[in-house]
Amino acid sequence: MSDPRVTGSIRYAQDIEFEDMLHARILRSPYPHARILRVDTSALPEHVIALTPDDVRGLGHYGCQIKDQTVLALERARFAGDPVAAVAAPTRREAEEALDLIDVEYEELPGVFDVVAALAQNAPLVHERHPISDNDAAYFDMRPQQGTNICHRFRIRHGDIEAGFAQADVIVEETYRTASAQHAAMEPHACTARWHDGRLEVWTGTQTPFNLRMELAGIFGLPEERVRIVCPPMGGAFGAKTFVRCEAIASALARKAGRPVRIVLERSEEWLTLNRHPATIRVRVGARRDGTLVAKQVECLVDTGAYADCGPGVAQKMGFASPGPYRIPHVWVDSYCIYTNLPPNGAFRGYGAMQAIWASERTMDLLAQRLAMDPLELRLKNVLVDGDHYCTGEVMHDVHFAECLTAAAERAGWSRDRRGKGLCVLMKGMQTPSRASIVVAANDDGSFTIHCATAEMGQGAWRSMRLMAAELLGVPVERVHFAEPDTDIAPYDTRTTSSRSTYMMGQALVEAVRQVRENGELGYGEFVSKGGLDPDTGQGIASSHWHQGAGAAEVSVDEETGKFQIVRLHTAIYAGRVVNRAGAELQNEGSMIMGLGTTLFEGITFADGQVTNANLSDYNIPAAGDLPQMSHDLIERAGADIHGLGETALPPVPAATGNALYSLGIHVTELPISAEAVLQAIERRDQRQATHDSKEGAKEGRR
Amino acid sequence: MARNIPEWLAPATLAEALELRAHFGDAATVVAGGTFTGILMRQRLIRPGALLALRNVRELAFIESAGEGALRIGAMTTHRAVEHSELIRQGWPVLAHTFSLVASPRVRNQATVGGVLADADYASDPPALLAALDARAIARNPQGERAIPVTELITGYYETSLQPDELLTEVHIPGGVERAVYRKFRSRSSEDRPCVAVAAARVRGRLRVVVGAVAERPQYFPDICALASNERTGHELAVEIGRRYAAAIDPISDSRGSAAYRRRVIAVEVRRALEDLDQEVQP
Amino acid sequence: MKIHFKLNGVATEVEADPDEMLLEVLRRDFKLSSVRETCGVGICGACTALVDGAPISTCIFLAALAEGCEITTVEGLGGDHPVQRAFEEAHAFQCGYCTPGMILTVKAFLEENPHPTDEEIKMALGGNLCRCGCYVKIIDAVRRAQLSS
Repeated sequence: MSDPRVTGSIRYAQDIEFEDMLHARILRSPYPHARILRVDTSALPEHVIALTPDDVRGLGHYGCQIKDQTVLALERARFAGDPVAAVAAPTRREAEEALDLIDVEYEELPGVFDVVAALAQNAPLVHERHPISDNDAAYFDMRPQQGTNICHRFRIRHGDIEAGFAQADVIVEETYRTASAQHAAMEPHACTARWHDGRLEVWTGTQTPFNLRMELAGIFGLPEERVRIVCPPMGGAFGAKTFVRCEAIASALARKAGRPVRIVLERSEEWLTLNRHPATIRVRVGARRDGTLVAKQVECLVDTGAYADCGPGVAQKMGFASPGPYRIPHVWVDSYCIYTNLPPNGAFRGYGAMQAIWASERTMDLLAQRLAMDPLELRLKNVLVDGDHYCTGEVMHDVHFAECLTAAAERAGWSRDRRGKGLCVLMKGMQTPSRASIVVAANDDGSFTIHCATAEMGQGAWRSMRLMAAELLGVPVERVHFAEPDTDIAPYDTRTTSSRSTYMMGQALVEAVRQVRENGELGYGEFVSKGGLDPDTGQGIASSHWHQGAGAAEVSVDEETGKFQIVRLHTAIYAGRVVNRAGAELQNEGSMIMGLGTTLFEGITFADGQVTNANLSDYNIPAAGDLPQMSHDLIERAGADIHGLGETALPPVPAATGNALYSLGIHVTELPISAEAVLQAIERRDQRQATHDSKEGAKEGRR
Repeated sequence: MARNIPEWLAPATLAEALELRAHFGDAATVVAGGTFTGILMRQRLIRPGALLALRNVRELAFIESAGEGALRIGAMTTHRAVEHSELIRQGWPVLAHTFSLVASPRVRNQATVGGVLADADYASDPPALLAALDARAIARNPQGERAIPVTELITGYYETSLQPDELLTEVHIPGGVERAVYRKFRSRSSEDRPCVAVAAARVRGRLRVVVGAVAERPQYFPDICALASNERTGHELAVEIGRRYAAAIDPISDSRGSAAYRRRVIAVEVRRALEDLDQEVQP
Repeated sequence: MKIHFKLNGVATEVEADPDEMLLEVLRRDFKLSSVRETCGVGICGACTALVDGAPISTCIFLAALAEGCEITTVEGLGGDHPVQRAFEEAHAFQCGYCTPGMILTVKAFLEENPHPTDEEIKMALGGNLCRCGCYVKIIDAVRRAQLSS
């Protein structure tokens, strides 16, 4: 029996068909900030259904953390690409041509296109108010700063930062920037909505079916039970397919048309839908002469674009990842989630950790250099061990940072020669709190079916779940089926993000299997992870357990052009217990390869608020020819919890690469690392060397 | 809401094709391999009223040696055919190599020698190399034909000197190509369009260096090349020629590099191309 | 206009407009969902079909150019082709979206170059993007497919 991915018979959201279905396209604002004065659809043929601001004005607002979104932009368009109208027609081609017949009058407004401009006094406000959402994704206390473009502010206050720096023999400070990036899943966003017997049914590629159900119910003023979300497998997601994307527009069109409506985005629209948060991160770290860390201060300015989406959560996670997996008695973090008139930024593999780790781990190497210490020794001296308290106050357990780091360094031949090599050790949190529930049903033929809302986006979750259930049930995995998630049938799950599903659902499965074995019919299991942080102090439990890993990179540089190769790349990731070995390897390899893109060439470019590289020719993603020699370790321990692997191997790639360049005196602070930036860093290095040499020469001369 | 559906013209002979071309002029988009036209149409950048497809004009697909070491390639010859041609691999290996560098195997299966010149995409590899080899594009109309040096064919971004009644029918590479190299510098992914490309050749005793992918047209400066009159250029002169090329060119800025960066790379890559060319000299 | 070609071994005729791409025709008129649009500029390979044995980007291939050709999609491989088996054994896919394009590309590549070097394999796969990052296992699949034929 061949896998449907290999036979081509797998059905994605864009393959869902209904007989009288219409095809929709979205009309988007060409201006990054503008008042919408008039939307005129009078030139459209009668059989084309149009959706205008007037059609959706009375619908509920939404937003997974800040309730700042409407189904279409109403009074104002807030980014170039903001949906202003939509049409549905019998063919996609007709819908596209209909867009040209809609006349919109705008009045341009001044906009802000980076966090510095957005924070300036008297900066135009992207949103006048920042109401906090009441849905399940707003799971932590938020601190919107009304009257500014700051929609959340997260702080860690641990110890006494001034006293800490006063104790330091050496202080190092640097500022880093990371560009925005596009998930670029191979499958574009796609969904089909239809109204049936007073219920809204949506087939969509989504990682968050229950949140989506909640939000759509709120938008259309329906009880949640009257909304049904069905989740076909996705052609990749990486965070792009979270919360409400095109589903509200499709649903509104379907209601107006009285027919099912499908939206499939054009590739260029993906850059106008959801991207990764750019960040400017300032790090200041102090240490004693022997390398003991005493104080660390971090400021993160996180650009969330025109709508917050889960920006507050990302800013928070970036904030609590930024100190790094180290014992530091005095830690002060301020992380701000800031609106700009750019396309919205949201969940992206790594969820804020990548940016924080880049800044933190690069600074460790700057510090090592100042102390004339081996970067490995500096890290091993300070890295957290079992029983240590993290700066959030939580006690660390099942800790393997030193082990991962040592494994990575060894693989890189660190003790032999470290020129051209760099290291990284990292910690990443898992969505806490969260809840997972699962049902296992016994079928008449002796097989079993799992019902849960975990979405499949290529990470192999459905297979992992089947393997775990099969093991618990004592049957071959072929006798365990996984039903496509359907909120009418599957019990609640927080969402498929943050590499939490195998672990959380695995825990819930134990009880569900126990029950079904007992009663022979149906079993239900639930697992809850508790925790959370105080946003003003950063104290509490950031993560019920931590994703841990390390990486090593070796580079070779063409110093005449700045072009460099990553020659060898290795990651050592703590997996706890591996359920699906091939799947685990694919996740590590996939994360590392996505990390290559982050490091080497992925960055969205903007000009006056317009995306200028919204296609896969100008925006490069890694191809087979870009692979370095790659290897990775999956570290397991008997009796350990499953640790999610979907993201951990991504952040070490940029940090280890940046550190490898740094070992050659090439200091870069921005991602992606362009050949041009390397060339400029080489010039600065050579200048410093020349200045140093001439000073030494002058000293010699004077002797 | 009637859509303008284009007319499909598919002549079976060159004569028929020329007639249709003369009749429609630029009102009919010529479709050779169709990759470039396909992209423009799929992205809705052009909506042609008519499409003039040359796929059935088999007489335009050929690779043959002509007198005195010359080579003739028909305009409808695919990149793939050039890549795999024994004749070209033996006699003009850099030509086969350069065509093999274009885009992906899928593009090379479809795209043609005539098409890549007529498209005048500033980042394409073959035009720069063909210019270095002193190749000519043969353009025909019902009245006759003319030979346009490739250095003069491309006049701007996606613009050529072809007249609305002309079809590019073949590429002619004159004899006397002693040796040639092609360097494609990508600043990002291995699949990226080039940041800077350099073709260098010694043809009938003269050095020809052409820099592509940096400006609207392939950049050739015979005066600078004339500095190199010996069989071997040598390191110092290679550096000087690289420096002068970089100074003479006003490069573009884009995701692959700024103008300033491209200038730096032009100097380095031109020098390297000349060093590679020197390596090719038989001892 | 009427376009005639052989599709997965079956001679067929379809009505399409001259400005339609082969991808639209294959999906709409023949319900073949293995050819998928991703980039719309012929770069990513997710829309690959074999036209007279050669991989082509169907998203930018005018349907009319398929006149008289033999077209193969992954549905035409029967499900048990050595390349398909090699992909399964090597676990060379995650979300599966790029997989049919990869399989067809590898099939054509190995037919032309039965004993490729690692470098040649990487270059041959260059035009097929996989965002899930399965390249390591895909290269392994190519080697397994080599051994089995």
